[in-house]
Amino acid sequence: MITPIYIIILSLGTAFLTAILSKKSEKLPFVMVFTAIMSITAISAYWAFRFIAFKDGSMIESTAGFSAPLSIALKVGIEESFALLVINLTALLGMPHVFKLIKENGKYSAITYLLYFMALNGIVMTRDLFNYFVFIEISSIAVAGMLLFQKSGKLLKAGFSWLVATGIISIFLILGAITAYVKTGVLDIDTIVLMNSSGLGTGSIAAFFLFIALIFELKPFPANRWAVDIYKSAPAGITAAISGAGMTASLFALYKFLPVLGPSWNSAVAVTGLLTFVMSNLLAIKTENTNKMLGLSSIAQGGLATAVIGLGNILGTDTFFIAGTIVAVHAVSKTGLFWLNGIAGFEKTKEWGKLKGNPFVIFLLGLFIFSLLGLPPFPTFFAKWMLIEQLAGTSNWLWMALILIGSLLEAVYLIRWFGYSVKMESDTQKEIKFKELALLFVSVAILFIISIDIPFAVGHMPLLKTVSIPLIFATSFFILDFLPAKIKNILLISGLGYYFYHLYPVLFEFRAVFLIVFLIGGMILLLAGFDKSGKRVGFYPSSALMYAGLAGLLTANTTMEFFFWWELMTLGSYFLILRGKKSMAHALSYMTFSLGGAYSMLAGFGLISAANNGNLELATLSTAGAYQSVIFILLVIGFLTKTAAAPLHIWLPGAHSEAESDVSPVVSAVLLKAGVFGLIVTMLAMGPQSFKGVNIYYVLGWLGVITALLGNMMAAFEEDAKRLLAYSSVGQLGGVVFALSMMNHLGWLTATAFALNHFVFKALLFLAIGGVVMRVKTRNMYEMGGLITRMPISFLSVMIGIIALSGVPPLTGFGGKWLSYNAMIDSQMYFQGAVASFAGLVAFLYCFRLIFAIFLGQLKDNHRHVKEAPFWMLVPQFALLGLVMFFSVVPGVALKPIGEFLVKYFPENPLVWDGYLAKSYLGYWDGKMIMYVTMGIFSVVFAWLFFINRKAVKVKQFNIVYAAERPSRPELTHFAYNFFAPYRKALGFLVTPLATAFWNGVSEGFHSTATFTSKIFKGNSQSYAIHILLYAVISFIITFGGVQ
Amino acid sequence: MKFEWIKILYAVWALLIILNIGLVFQGVTQKIAARLGRRYGIRWYQPYIDLMKNYAMRSSITHGVMFYLGPVFRLSGGIGMFLFMPVIFDSPYFQNFSFSGDLILISYFMFFGTLGMALGAGEGGHPYSAIGITRGLSQMTAAEVPQILAIISVAVQYQTISITNIVAAQQGGIMNWTVMTNPFATAAALLALLGSMMRPPFDVVLAPQEIPIGPPTEFHSNFLAVLQTNRAIFPMAKMVLFVNIFFGGATNWPLMIAKMFLLYMWPIFIGVAFPRFRVDQSIRWFIKIPAVIGIIAVLLVR
Repeated sequence: MITPIYIIILSLGTAFLTAILSKKSEKLPFVMVFTAIMSITAISAYWAFRFIAFKDGSMIESTAGFSAPLSIALKVGIEESFALLVINLTALLGMPHVFKLIKENGKYSAITYLLYFMALNGIVMTRDLFNYFVFIEISSIAVAGMLLFQKSGKLLKAGFSWLVATGIISIFLILGAITAYVKTGVLDIDTIVLMNSSGLGTGSIAAFFLFIALIFELKPFPANRWAVDIYKSAPAGITAAISGAGMTASLFALYKFLPVLGPSWNSAVAVTGLLTFVMSNLLAIKTENTNKMLGLSSIAQGGLATAVIGLGNILGTDTFFIAGTIVAVHAVSKTGLFWLNGIAGFEKTKEWGKLKGNPFVIFLLGLFIFSLLGLPPFPTFFAKWMLIEQLAGTSNWLWMALILIGSLLEAVYLIRWFGYSVKMESDTQKEIKFKELALLFVSVAILFIISIDIPFAVGHMPLLKTVSIPLIFATSFFILDFLPAKIKNILLISGLGYYFYHLYPVLFEFRAVFLIVFLIGGMILLLAGFDKSGKRVGFYPSSALMYAGLAGLLTANTTMEFFFWWELMTLGSYFLILRGKKSMAHALSYMTFSLGGAYSMLAGFGLISAANNGNLELATLSTAGAYQSVIFILLVIGFLTKTAAAPLHIWLPGAHSEAESDVSPVVSAVLLKAGVFGLIVTMLAMGPQSFKGVNIYYVLGWLGVITALLGNMMAAFEEDAKRLLAYSSVGQLGGVVFALSMMNHLGWLTATAFALNHFVFKALLFLAIGGVVMRVKTRNMYEMGGLITRMPISFLSVMIGIIALSGVPPLTGFGGKWLSYNAMIDSQMYFQGAVASFAGLVAFLYCFRLIFAIFLGQLKDNHRHVKEAPFWMLVPQFALLGLVMFFSVVPGVALKPIGEFLVKYFPENPLVWDGYLAKSYLGYWDGKMIMYVTMGIFSVVFAWLFFINRKAVKVKQFNIVYAAERPSRPELTHFAYNFFAPYRKALGFLVTPLATAFWNGVSEGFHSTATFTSKIFKGNSQSYAIHILLYAVISFIITFGGVQ
Repeated sequence: MKFEWIKILYAVWALLIILNIGLVFQGVTQKIAARLGRRYGIRWYQPYIDLMKNYAMRSSITHGVMFYLGPVFRLSGGIGMFLFMPVIFDSPYFQNFSFSGDLILISYFMFFGTLGMALGAGEGGHPYSAIGITRGLSQMTAAEVPQILAIISVAVQYQTISITNIVAAQQGGIMNWTVMTNPFATAAALLALLGSMMRPPFDVVLAPQEIPIGPPTEFHSNFLAVLQTNRAIFPMAKMVLFVNIFFGGATNWPLMIAKMFLLYMWPIFIGVAFPRFRVDQSIRWFIKIPAVIGIIAVLLVR
């Protein structure tokens, strides 16, 4: 059996040998150090393998022939081997990145690198307080050495501050060791705990010194500026080592020594960790320097892991899993990011736009970033889930909220960075060859292994089984991205079709309806993709992820599964939206709001599982316990973020309008329905809810109609065609929310009718307008005009679309309107209904504006030769036109089955069908007869006019009655700008952008707090020393205040 | 309800009656307005002559397909709205196609004509047509607010939205009429009627006696004739609707014609007496007092 002492021997021996032998060659130091680290890594891998596969017991090596506490004990158990593996793999993979460093600065850099990792190994393995002090000293001096041995002197300042700071930390540590020895007589951890199971306890000065030293090793806020400076200025190899390996070791030390301090110190540890997490993420929002940002992010993640360790009494046996996952993924991904940044060589985050043309770089960046953020399918997702679940279970609301806020802040700056790299405009482009990135793919492989193993180890295998097939299908598109776009399109459409065929027999009621919308709708809309040539890199993986998420939502049985697919869907749709030309800021806004809503949902789910003793079944939504109204509000906020209800709607106009021509229909017509589905699931399970005496459904109703009115009004005032349609979606979904809030049969039928209709006509409109925009190359409606002659099919689509949208009979929108009137009278929500009707009327305004400004009026000179929209954009339009006509004539095909299963939940006052005639207790409606009568009258009148006017002469464009003037140019004769000026004058006050102002204010608040905080804590080595001392003093006062 | 082909014949017969009523009313009201303005006025059968003149014009131009379809949509909207309504209560001949849909259908079918007309006028390419349409649409959406509230109030009061049932509930004497049992709803609806009749003070949409503006700017000869036909039918259809909902309906044609005429005088007299609102003024006006009256109407029936 290889004992721990071999690692020390190997390292020290190699270090000394390197120093002696290196006079011979330049490459020798690197080779020798590399061999040593490789052997150490092999040893830790061997240990890990034995512990996992053979379940060996932990081994304790006693040195000097005696056993502890008379000698220093080194222990390696399963937990230690895990930490050691992480540390040593980081060392190994980091070696190529320090190759240049060693070549330039000679053998001492190599030796210090090796000794640093030896020290980290020692920190993990030792069981002795003084020995820990020794290894801490070695690690700090090694880092200082790596920095100060640089031939350039620019790291002198950072290195010096490091020495000062770590010096002070070591002083605290040795003081702690001394006082602990005085108090207990031994220095060995296990013996101390054996002597007194509550460790050194509260009120013990020894514990305080140890605590403060352990905490400082993790660079807590605000006494961590010295570490931030290092991260900012040191080369990538060193910062990666400190961040990945160093932090792992320090965290493990904290975890190890916590029993010595005693359980009463847990809360102090947790508070410092949480403070660091939130504040470091806040500061990172303001930084423009990539290294500094990554450094702050590392410190923040360390803070999170610290908080998790400090919450050990709550989290119990899950503590190691959660903290370990965070640490492991952080070690892999953060080091990957540091190395990537080192390869790229940019200082500012905004410069990453220069790497736009490197798909592998983007892929790596995205992979690492999203694994850090806790998005599925990475293991940090499960860790975060368990953490929130446990916190909810023990009613720690504030902790939960603060951790989620910190996570949101982290998401903002990391995703912003990703957005820069994909979309930022830059004059020059930099190319990075694949072989430079090759080693990073080893990190990807490790991440992959972790992602599969960790859930397996913790028993989430059933989840993995269900997610595997759609997830594998979706991720295979990443590998298949080299294929031409048309082939990938066929693959994706067939995949969706097959999955639909597979799922349709097993899904019932609402899930079947939404399955059709998601998958069949997706298939129809993907047809437009056949127009694109080339490879269309990045589109298909993103789409596949999104559709996998959407389909998975419907098959989810547990809340965790539901949330898994929800986040996956959000991720895929973010990538899709990001592809638009000017969508960088809008995609960030979309992701921020989506994640905010998702975290609200996570909190709700955590609370539910807490109320049901950890049972994660979706059915437990009905037994949500004492806080069900709070849970309801949290879940509803999450879903309303997705359906863009006011005031959570400000991301939608930008995101939907800037997206590509065949992405806008998908995100507007299909994706928003996911929120509707979530609302349906929640409302069906949880029933009537009131919060502090206020009926939440009443509030929801008003929220819905106000959203409807404001969305429609803002659409009427828009000059940009796609923004108009985006606001229209906001308005229409407000109507859906209102209909759902009625909680009666007719209301839910209305909501389903609205949702289905909205899917059909919004997809139709976005496709048609997308085709037009593709041809005329502008989105401003006043620059278009008269296109009916050039693009008649698009005109037809838009005309049918707006007739359906406005609810004019005989087309399908009327059914929804008729149902809504019945529902509002049945539910006695008269005033909300009146506002909703008014909103529907306002819809006429933008419907007309859309079609008039683009297709009617005067044809502009530069558009005289535009062609009709591309054929493959028209194909889905034909399909959707057919659907509109079909549902207009036989609306019962969809509404009858929906009504049948609604009767189960809302048996009163249902809609009754008599053949094609729909009857409610108030009135009746016969879609088929209306269509026949209307078409009959129309044809007769048309035929008559055609007959009497058969000799009409077609005239040219400017042949109009112009009252003694002469129309000269189309621009002067096409009335399209500020179309509804009188309306704006009369009712424009309703659309003052209050929500935008509010969210801007929130964002500004965060930014200014960050700037302010950052300014306070800037300084030089002296000020850092004072920060540390002040922190220690204040912690002392807080932890000891009031105790004798 | 079983569909019988004879219904089409009855519907056409009702349509012809209403067409003639409309044309006669037009002439008579122009005469009345002239007399109020101390002029002699036109002959009462002048609208017939105008219509025949327009139909007889030989030359006509078209700007495109949609231009052609504009008046078709408009007239279809007018005829359709009329034909979906039951006209004479309890008469087997004059129920039209009301079995297809109820009050909501009628309300929304009004927009069929508006939308189509807007499309047709837009194709003409005349900017004044477009300005007229924006004015018209803006005003219409605002004018519909008290109308919706009135309809909701009436529907809640009678617990039905079928016109036949509403008329049935008002039988048995003048005290049963909606105007007596729900005066606020009637008031709101009558105020909304002013807006939708496009007479002063809400006639800036067409702006007669000024520059030629408004949707019909480019329409001429046969197109204008079709629009004029609709101008005869559509207001009459609205009158029939209002008489049925608010004034007790009628069990025979003479009674219906009398009620329609009296009701028609309401927008005429107001129109003669008042000057014109701007569009934003009219929008604000409708959202104020008529909407409040409508809200009161709803509150009273809850």
